[in-house]
Amino acid sequence: MYIPDYFEFCCRVKIVAGHDGLEQIPSLLTAMGSSAPMILTDKGVRAAGLVDVVETALGGNLTIPTIEDDVPPDSDLNVVHRLADVYREKGCDAIIAVGGGSVLDTAKGINILVSEDSDNLMEFTGAGALKRPLRPLIAVPTTAGTGSEVTLVAVIADHANNRKMLFTSYFLLPDAAVVDPRMTLTLPPHITAATAMDAMAHSVESTVMMSKNPLSDAHAREAMTLISKHLVSVIKNPSDKDGRLALATAATMAGIAFSNAMVGMVHAIGHSVGSVCHVPHGTCMAILLPYGLEYNLHKAEDRIADLLLPLAGPEAVVSTPADKRAQAAIDWIREFNKELNQITSGRHATRFKDLKGHDGTPMVPKDKLPEIAATAMGDGAIFYNPEDMDYEDFLMVTEAAWEGVPLDPTRIKKG
Amino acid sequence: MEAFAEIKPGKRYLTRIYLGIMLWFVGRAVQAAAKVDKEVAKEFENMPDEYTFCLGAFPNGPYMIVGKDAIGRVRYKGGNPDKHDIHLEMGLKSLGNLFTMFTFRESTPVANARDRLFVCGDVPNACACVRVLDIVQVYLLPKPIAKLAIKRYPRWSFKRHTLDRALVLIRTLIGF
Ligand SMILES: [Fe+2]
Repeated sequence: MYIPDYFEFCCRVKIVAGHDGLEQIPSLLTAMGSSAPMILTDKGVRAAGLVDVVETALGGNLTIPTIEDDVPPDSDLNVVHRLADVYREKGCDAIIAVGGGSVLDTAKGINILVSEDSDNLMEFTGAGALKRPLRPLIAVPTTAGTGSEVTLVAVIADHANNRKMLFTSYFLLPDAAVVDPRMTLTLPPHITAATAMDAMAHSVESTVMMSKNPLSDAHAREAMTLISKHLVSVIKNPSDKDGRLALATAATMAGIAFSNAMVGMVHAIGHSVGSVCHVPHGTCMAILLPYGLEYNLHKAEDRIADLLLPLAGPEAVVSTPADKRAQAAIDWIREFNKELNQITSGRHATRFKDLKGHDGTPMVPKDKLPEIAATAMGDGAIFYNPEDMDYEDFLMVTEAAWEGVPLDPTRIKKG
Repeated sequence: MEAFAEIKPGKRYLTRIYLGIMLWFVGRAVQAAAKVDKEVAKEFENMPDEYTFCLGAFPNGPYMIVGKDAIGRVRYKGGNPDKHDIHLEMGLKSLGNLFTMFTFRESTPVANARDRLFVCGDVPNACACVRVLDIVQVYLLPKPIAKLAIKRYPRWSFKRHTLDRALVLIRTLIGF
């Protein structure tokens, strides 16, 4: 067990998890003195009928002044300003955000404006601009992956000026996260696989990072155990409610782990593949995760070896010699991806080369790899990665992940 | 009451002097390296004109400020952040944290991992500034000490390790 000389850990979100999680929302709001929440969601979530599930669960116990579903896939400054006006006009006093990362980021943006009684979100960018608690915000995640219900950042795009604004504050944490498996019950198999692999990447990366600590590890290791035990069976039997609850809980736990111990190169490259080629985040995570471990192997062998227990179970640990366990953990993740590929009829990709857009063209053309590597150089996640990376290193890893071949150990620079 | 002498916080003169000198060196060395080293020059080329960053200890310093001037030259801009428009602030959360780092008992990445570092500004340029500072540390410090300060000691050409290093050191001392 690694204990750093000094570490910080903070999670002040109340987690309400279970098969009747949604039913607790009225009492959560009452306890915070609210009675008129805005429900914020996006069109996809609404079309999937999930808002109806929430409304039914709330019963007649709450007046909902308005349900707003006009939230684009990446949250936008104008949308935040417009919806803040709606919040005020309709006399809302809280937000229930039902959706993924962009719905929650939009909700955080709206909450800043209405709580600070401001009409300029720009005043609150960066870290530490918020000085006091905001109005009540309840997060209801609809995928089991991002963990954004327990993270203290919001990213809001200013499309007019072509930039992304980052807001960081403990006051941006939702007051409660309602983790209810009814929200993920209808996710198609390949999305269940990709989002769960995002959570897996959060937990695995957080245990390898320089900023790991015993508290983040505890959350991360349990999350890995839950995902490795339940993901395959949930994909084979999508209506497995207990399995869905396990995966949703794991995603939240992984979110707690990585928001404290951070993530590294897998996310640095993944963000970059996402922004250059528009590949879904979870897909990038699944493909890149084994490479992130391979690259850091010489710096973090013990930490990676420790992953074998939560991933593969005690029998695998006992039957693997100590010096082979790190490699075995990496191999296990590759095999897991292959199995997910098989049970999703090939829709869960294991390399970038295989990804195809709606029109059948490759999503990640090989000539985009240099741009991906260059963009990754500007990603802050690399600060926490055990080993350093320059442009050449980013390109080498991206090329290997494109081709689907393991890294050549002789090309990993060891200082 | 001699045994219970009052502790006066914030008056660690020797620490402040030591850190002031170190930051002065680093600041002038960044200016020098921007002239000598192609990689450093390129990192600055990608930053907007007049882009300025500061490194130091919160809240009372000392600091060093480096940035580009109106015509794109990289300058060491002294130690007073109030006199400049700062685009990127990198600060250790206390004087003691900065001292631990500049006495090489904790590398920059480890200090960052332990939540001792506060970064305020846009992320891509912050990454570039960290890379510049890493290169400068390799120029300034003997290999065994530089290895304590950065994640990975780079494999440089013989010229970069000798001639370029000499040029950076001379320019740092003379300040041109
Ligand atoms: Fe992620």
